[in-house]
Amino acid sequence: MTDRIARRGWPALAAVAALAAVAVTVIVFAVPGRSPSGAFPVLHPAAAPASWPHLRLPNGTAVLSYPPSLRPIAGDTDAVSAARLSPGGGFQLYLNATPRQGAERLQDWAAFRLRLLRTDDAVSAHEISAAQGVTFRGGTGSCLIDGYVTRIGGHHYDEIACLVQGQTSASVIIAAAPAAQWAQARPQLLQAVAAYLVR
Amino acid sequence: MTKSAATAKALKRRPQGLVVLAAAGAATIVLAACGSTASAGSSHQQSHPPTHAPATAPAHSPAPTHAPTTAPAHSPAPTHAPTTAPAHSANPIPQGNGGDSDADNNGGPSDGDGNI
Repeated sequence: MTDRIARRGWPALAAVAALAAVAVTVIVFAVPGRSPSGAFPVLHPAAAPASWPHLRLPNGTAVLSYPPSLRPIAGDTDAVSAARLSPGGGFQLYLNATPRQGAERLQDWAAFRLRLLRTDDAVSAHEISAAQGVTFRGGTGSCLIDGYVTRIGGHHYDEIACLVQGQTSASVIIAAAPAAQWAQARPQLLQAVAAYLVR
Repeated sequence: MTKSAATAKALKRRPQGLVVLAAAGAATIVLAACGSTASAGSSHQQSHPPTHAPATAPAHSPAPTHAPTTAPAHSPAPTHAPTTAPAHSANPIPQGNGGDSDADNNGGPSDGDGNI
């Protein structure tokens, strides 16, 4: 009789073990900070406030709007940039728009951007969050929020980097700030990204 | 009857034991997979924290002639000094005011170029 009960108990034990394994799996993946990616914020495409100046890409395919506290700065001839600098000349806010130049693609934009950062001007770069199918004014894009450390000077920046496909062309918008000031800068940078207009 | 013979006999009587063994094996595999995934994720996040100053001396490199606002020497001090260039660095655009003299070649934020 006891032996029979014991025999019936074995499948129950197996079930309990399997359930425990599943529970552990769920807990491991649910613990905050364990996943490399969080949720990319919802972008609400909207025109910038009337007081915001605009910079049009030289090829005319996109318009970058920027807060009045920023000023246009020089960069690549086919791109536009604006920045707000500290009294000491350090970057506090940075916006840039550049036409698609290389092998950027919507489907693997995040990986492309991180790879480019690591091989170009950063000693390290890590993804914070990413999204595809992001709606922009005039197009759709893939976006990434990441953090990186520059090869020169070892500066920590966080950025929103989006590849945006318009009807006729694609371009990239970058919105960056020092990592230490990211929390304060993020809303304004997101607003600038949401105001980005592509054709 | 020896002890091993008794054990074998017991196993014969309890084929469900195999189920438990299988479940335990599956649990082990799942846990191992979780561990490797989680560690990969965290290393991805940490991504080589800098430990010492850069080999180059960019802090006082001259500002680009056409970019008065790209003065990396005065950029906010990093909380950690950077490592030297990683082994996988292709770095097609020279840093330290090289290449196209962009802000990102002087410690400023990276622009959106496609590395052209």
